[in-house]
Amino acid sequence: MRGVIAHFRELDSLVEAIEELKEKRSGDITVYTPTPRHEIEQAIHPPPSPVRKFTLIGGLLGVTFGYWIAIWASDYWPLVVGGKPIASWVPYTIFGFEVMVLVGGLSTVAGLFITSRIPKLTMTVGYDPRFSSGDYGLWLECAPDRASEAAALLRARGATEVRSER
Amino acid sequence: MATVTRPVPSSEDPRRRPNIASADIQLPAVRDYEQVDREIIGTLHPTVAWFIGLGFAVFVLAVGIFAWMYQIYAGTGVDGYTGSVMWGVFIITFVFWVGIGHAGTLISAILYLFRAGFRTTIYRCAEAMTVFAVMTAGIFPILHMGRPWKFYWLVPYPNWRYIWPQFKSPLVWDVFAILTYLTISSTFLYVGLIPDIAVLRDRENISPIRKRIFSVLSLGWRNSDREWRHFARAYLFLAALSTPLVLSVHSVVSFDFAMALVPGWHTTIFPPYFVAGAIYSGVGMVLMIIIPIRKWFKLQHYVTINHLDAAAKLALFTSLIVACAYTTEWFVAWFSGNEVEQTFFWNRIFGQWMWASAILYTCNIVLPITLFSQRLRRNTTWLFILSITINIGMWFERFVIIVPSMSHEFEPWRWTSYRPTWVDYAILCGSFGWFFMWFLLFIKQLPVIAISEVKEIVMPRLRATHSHGVTVTGEHIDYERETPGEHE
Repeated sequence: MRGVIAHFRELDSLVEAIEELKEKRSGDITVYTPTPRHEIEQAIHPPPSPVRKFTLIGGLLGVTFGYWIAIWASDYWPLVVGGKPIASWVPYTIFGFEVMVLVGGLSTVAGLFITSRIPKLTMTVGYDPRFSSGDYGLWLECAPDRASEAAALLRARGATEVRSER
Repeated sequence: MATVTRPVPSSEDPRRRPNIASADIQLPAVRDYEQVDREIIGTLHPTVAWFIGLGFAVFVLAVGIFAWMYQIYAGTGVDGYTGSVMWGVFIITFVFWVGIGHAGTLISAILYLFRAGFRTTIYRCAEAMTVFAVMTAGIFPILHMGRPWKFYWLVPYPNWRYIWPQFKSPLVWDVFAILTYLTISSTFLYVGLIPDIAVLRDRENISPIRKRIFSVLSLGWRNSDREWRHFARAYLFLAALSTPLVLSVHSVVSFDFAMALVPGWHTTIFPPYFVAGAIYSGVGMVLMIIIPIRKWFKLQHYVTINHLDAAAKLALFTSLIVACAYTTEWFVAWFSGNEVEQTFFWNRIFGQWMWASAILYTCNIVLPITLFSQRLRRNTTWLFILSITINIGMWFERFVIIVPSMSHEFEPWRWTSYRPTWVDYAILCGSFGWFFMWFLLFIKQLPVIAISEVKEIVMPRLRATHSHGVTVTGEHIDYERETPGEHE
């Protein structure tokens, strides 16, 4: 992995740099930001997050399991209570709902981890602790022959530090 | 997370009145991201007062543990149970702590979905409070059991007895609801903490051990746009799943009562009544915790008077709902024409349990009326006192629901009284020791205010002069000299 890392102090400088790099198709961009900003999101135009699919699948599995465990266990150990059917769907909706939330929630977190590729066990090229405080970072993955051009552009847009990394 | 940040309204904006405590809450005294890191991380250094507080909490917990050990040794006969009143302090306190646990997810999830800005600086405290309160609540049904070591029989798992739990029993519903709530609340708290732990990891320059621990806990979080994008989506879905969960859990707890035929319990208004009461008590506990914290940690410019004002309005609103529920109960008892129900309610309000009802109605109906006054809503001393009375009132609400019903059922020969013993009181106090021990440990290890979310509402550094008062060098200009909430 080769590229250029640039530090920005100001948000508007960063956004301008992203827009220009996108326009010139200079390479893949990763932005490090202390907090999510809509300005950055609008400049990058990312695809929708697939986390919702994990939530949906987890929720469906959960609700199925919740109903199944209650119905199966009641059928396995039949005990008539209050003249109600062995498999009473009304009270068993509580299990369906609770297990849906449980499995749906946990699979959402699993989706977050998988799509964000965390836990990360290795150092990230170009990452600087200042990016979690007040500075913004822009990592541009590009071939060495295009690095100098990109670095010049980033400096012109207000980057305080620009360096090549690999 | 990723709340919609709004432009700061100008001082000429007529909508910016001193009493606006809603989505447009800003933090004018917080200038930049570095200040947020510095001031919030600065609260993590242990102090002598903190050690004294932690020591006291552990002592109170030890008293409770001693009482429990004695109860296990001597049997539940040492508690205040009588032949009729077989649910006492333990079940009252169980419902009380579950209720306390409701405000956390309400504030972090429901208010997040409603884009209520005042949640930003108080939700972390409320979430941590939720987790510790549910941990406390979960102990009480086990304490209540004569043989606590067999509690896992309520969990459905394959076993040699070939016996499965009775899935039509509200007690099994409780197990599912409470365990789900504890799991999802803990997950919600931890997921929200990941970016903040990454900040702690990057700012930790003294202790390599702490840095290592924060590195592991932050899971290698790097603040990249990809991580934030998935994080915001996951947080939204967790909030969306947690919102009905909040409503369901206390509804399920109310079924423990409403499914029985006991006078005073067998009523359909219990689920909304319990949920409103839970939110009311939870907001009371949030105020009780956040008011001293903002003072001791010098965070008044983060948790402003506007935030407290908004939380007080929530307490007022929920107190009106529970007041409505109380009057509905009275009306239904009278209008039903059911003699047992009428006699029971008369005994609850004007007879044997008049003293407990008086405490309940004073704390939950009369005193919260003062919150209609803006002056009192913005008075931290009064809010703190009121938060204590709210919690006392809500404990007595559960007392009034449980004990009078069991002591005054259908047959007059079973009518009796109830008096808790020292074991009940010691375990009740021990539960507060347990709760505050965890909370005190939490506030000195992890940030009590969400660092990354506060940064969202702080003006970012900009190169161009910004219409809302940011200079070319990135310094902020006071956009309003007398900003409400900045100074008390």
